[in-house]
Amino acid sequence: MAQIELEHITKTYGDKTALDDISLCVRDNEFFVLFGPAGAGKTTLLKTIAGIEFPQKGLVRIDGKIVNHVEPLNRNISMVFENYALYPQKTVYDNIASPLRSRLHRESEEDVQKAVVKVAKMMSIEQLLDRRPGELSNGQRQRVALGRCLVRTPNVYLMDEPLAHLDAKLRHFMRSELKEMQSAFNTTTIYVTHDYTEAMSLADRVAVLNHGRFEQTGTAHEMFYLPSNEFVAKLFGEPEINLFPAELTAEGGSVRLKAFDGEVTLTPCADVVPELEKGAKKLDVGIRGNDIGFSFQQEGRDWIRGTVYANEPIGNKVVMTVEALGTKIRLVAPNNTKAELDQEVYLRFNEKNFIYFDYETQKFIVRSDMDRYLRS
Amino acid sequence: MRKKLFHKSVDNGFAVKNLSFSCNDGEFIGILGPSGCGKSTTLRMVAGLEKITDGDVYINDVRINDLLPKDRNIGLAFEDYALYPPLSVYDNLAFNMRAKKIGEQEIKKSIDYVAPLLRVDDLLKEKPTALSGGQKQRVNIARAIVRRPGLLLLDEPLSHLDGKMRQTLRQEIKRLHHEIKCTTIIVTHDQMEAMSLADRIVIMKDGELQQMGTPLEVYDDPANVFVAGFIGEPPMNLLPSTILRTEGRFLFSFEGSDVRIEVPQRYASIVRDGMSVILGVRPVDVLIADDSAASTAVPVAVYEDLGDERHISVRIGKSLLNLITEDDVYYQQGQIIRLLFHAERTHLFDPKTGERIRA
Amino acid sequence: MNNKNEIDSKLVSSYNKRKKRKVLGAVGRNLGLTLYAVFALFPLLWMVLCSFKPDTEMYTTVFRFHPTTANYSAVLIGTDYFKAFYQNFVVSAFAVLITIVAGVPVAYALARYQFKSKESVAFTILSFKFAPEILVCLPVFLIFQKIGLYDTYFGLIWVYQLVTMPLLIWVLRGYFEDISVEIEQAAQLDGYKWYEIFLKTLVPLVKPGLVSVGLLAFIFAWNDFTFPLILSGSNIQTITITSLRYLASDTVHYGQVAVASTIAVLPEVIGCLFIQKHLVRGLSFGAVKG
Repeated sequence: MAQIELEHITKTYGDKTALDDISLCVRDNEFFVLFGPAGAGKTTLLKTIAGIEFPQKGLVRIDGKIVNHVEPLNRNISMVFENYALYPQKTVYDNIASPLRSRLHRESEEDVQKAVVKVAKMMSIEQLLDRRPGELSNGQRQRVALGRCLVRTPNVYLMDEPLAHLDAKLRHFMRSELKEMQSAFNTTTIYVTHDYTEAMSLADRVAVLNHGRFEQTGTAHEMFYLPSNEFVAKLFGEPEINLFPAELTAEGGSVRLKAFDGEVTLTPCADVVPELEKGAKKLDVGIRGNDIGFSFQQEGRDWIRGTVYANEPIGNKVVMTVEALGTKIRLVAPNNTKAELDQEVYLRFNEKNFIYFDYETQKFIVRSDMDRYLRS
Repeated sequence: MRKKLFHKSVDNGFAVKNLSFSCNDGEFIGILGPSGCGKSTTLRMVAGLEKITDGDVYINDVRINDLLPKDRNIGLAFEDYALYPPLSVYDNLAFNMRAKKIGEQEIKKSIDYVAPLLRVDDLLKEKPTALSGGQKQRVNIARAIVRRPGLLLLDEPLSHLDGKMRQTLRQEIKRLHHEIKCTTIIVTHDQMEAMSLADRIVIMKDGELQQMGTPLEVYDDPANVFVAGFIGEPPMNLLPSTILRTEGRFLFSFEGSDVRIEVPQRYASIVRDGMSVILGVRPVDVLIADDSAASTAVPVAVYEDLGDERHISVRIGKSLLNLITEDDVYYQQGQIIRLLFHAERTHLFDPKTGERIRA
Repeated sequence: MNNKNEIDSKLVSSYNKRKKRKVLGAVGRNLGLTLYAVFALFPLLWMVLCSFKPDTEMYTTVFRFHPTTANYSAVLIGTDYFKAFYQNFVVSAFAVLITIVAGVPVAYALARYQFKSKESVAFTILSFKFAPEILVCLPVFLIFQKIGLYDTYFGLIWVYQLVTMPLLIWVLRGYFEDISVEIEQAAQLDGYKWYEIFLKTLVPLVKPGLVSVGLLAFIFAWNDFTFPLILSGSNIQTITITSLRYLASDTVHYGQVAVASTIAVLPEVIGCLFIQKHLVRGLSFGAVKG
């Protein structure tokens, strides 16, 4: 258990900047998730904490002590690599036992056996202890890699996309298992993923990384409901949030939004108007797929007309992509929704859940009923 | 009505065992199954790349078992793009037609029609090395259909692409089919892909046909435990259970747990006390109830707030029962909640055969 | 599209054509391969036969002769043939040993580290193999004379590095590149020191390549003719140049030459037979990269 701090870390590879002035504080025992698209620098950040990569600038602290010059093996850190990095010529048992047998830790064979068996039971792989990694499936290898990481109790667990190479079913299953095990961890954990459901489910706090910089840090709940900018908003949620530009106008004493080249007029909720009026007139409005109603008949004058571009059942719901007003809008429909391609469909937005961004800076301005989302 | 009919076929080594199905002109068929189930082998037999040990393949009522692939009038777009690197996209598309000595005028007409459908019309002069994975795959598919074949075969065309590209291309394939109405067969291990693209899905396991039906049919009405657990994301809850009879009612009981759930009325006539069944219910069909006699109290094992949905798991003996709700609820681990199953959408399966027990 | 007719007419003719083509193809291929095998193995066979032929029958037809062991006794009994055999073995084995000890770290460095003109260094090492030995011989001879390495074990072993080292480095570099760097990083985090990681984790992973390229290097060293010819005199007589002895002033004792060659080839053949499987896998595996 330890507190991990990064102070103004910059890491470059040649002329490419992987980490740009990163500062971070992970509290003792926290489950901290690093989230972001591929190439954002998440793995580099993890390796810098582990000591496998050396930053050009900045300090790494473990429990307040500077460890920049400390070798990885002396930092007391356990890591799960994205591609597992299991020793191919050793058995599963020896792979998991490996950290306990090194010069540094020198446990007795009895203690080693106890620890390995305990972890193997936790990962449900006790029947695989005699096999070699080459004989295992991806899911089994991932559990061995996790086992090797968890067999010790180091300062911090570093996990680099441990569920990335598993098929969807196994990923969901392992995510629930990890969640259930979390309370038993009792160790600071830094977990890297590009899957927002993992971030939302497992994290105490999340940091979104983009091109080596933090876009937002906070709880996953905050990221989803109060994203600090459009980039973060687009990362969370399936289907991706819909964003369209709109202009704030005054029409006959009340404030309105004109969108889609003036074709559509929307009414913002009363509680957001003061905030909106403070800033620029040009906005980007975000609305998630669940907050869009649809019908194949024109239910009212303010319903927007479009055609069905795609209608995809994806398991327990249907994602319908509608082409309307020159843009594609994604909405969530009940599971048995049938639609012909190019069929006429009418949409209605739920203004209560609009998220407003500044058009120029793409930063978050306001959303309705903000207090409700500022809990947790 | 042109009918393309398939095979009763058995391949040596039993990669495919006694598979028969037929599909109609213009239909989009998806062959779905885990890796090693024989779906690629089936496709390759239709294509003529694999020998058929036993059985026949008919296209338009003509038996084509012994025809070479190039004579079967089919378009193939396989997983590995295999575009000729030194040729431009245009030349790649024209390649097969030139080999058949079709005139340049005709070739240009065909390409000009097909290229915009897959949005590769602005890539015609590029070489394959300059293209991204998604673009290469689009050229691959364009090449398959440029000769307007009677049948289009796609073997896992989206597996090498990342999330967003996969979604986009999936929609484009669907729209392409909508446009040219070519009979298409796609092979995939991703049930989401099959569900969103196919008019009907053929589900295979270990070389054998499990079920064939529309996406809604295989989702709502699975024929056996394998189909039930394979289709649907997240997967259906499948809990082994023993029927108990108390006070005139039938209840599901579970090993290692005192949870009891009422058996839906429509099964009352076919269950007996002590009968072993597998209970199948989808996470969306497990409902959170207020205090009511029909609901069951269980402690929460896992609570996940995923923004637009909440995923909750409760422990029942050795298994985890998963449920999904869009309601804005919040539970602590260990908190007791009351659950109810949607009676119409609860399924029973025979534990020995895996077959569905119908009411 | 005139679908139905197209398929119909082609049905029968294409089926028959395919069958005929297949059978002819198989017969032709097997015949070709057999001929080639005979062509390749014939010299070896002839050599072994010659070793049993008396000199008088050397020029008669190949297969009808009176076998004799006179050649064998002439070469093997009462001569220092086995001394030459032993010396060849010592030189080759030590050469390969030094190549392994020095070359493996070089291969690792080229695979893992980035440094200026890395590729030039790699290419320079490979280029040593390009130089024909006969060209290099004379300058080396002069140098060796000056520093007293002429006709010594050490001198020959050192020069043999030109033959064995580039091959090993080039093949093993590919092997090291194929091992993902994360395995080493995982071992670091597990608490192992760099030499433990190298010896216990990395070397076992390149073992197949090491064994096969080691054997190949041994074969090259064993067979080398030019270097021992020029750079060693009476002290070191490798097997290859021992064969020269049988070219006597009046006649060439082909039979004895054949015996010398046959015995000399034995270690290599036995070595290859034992490691056959690894040889093919070992060489092609590393060769895929670079």
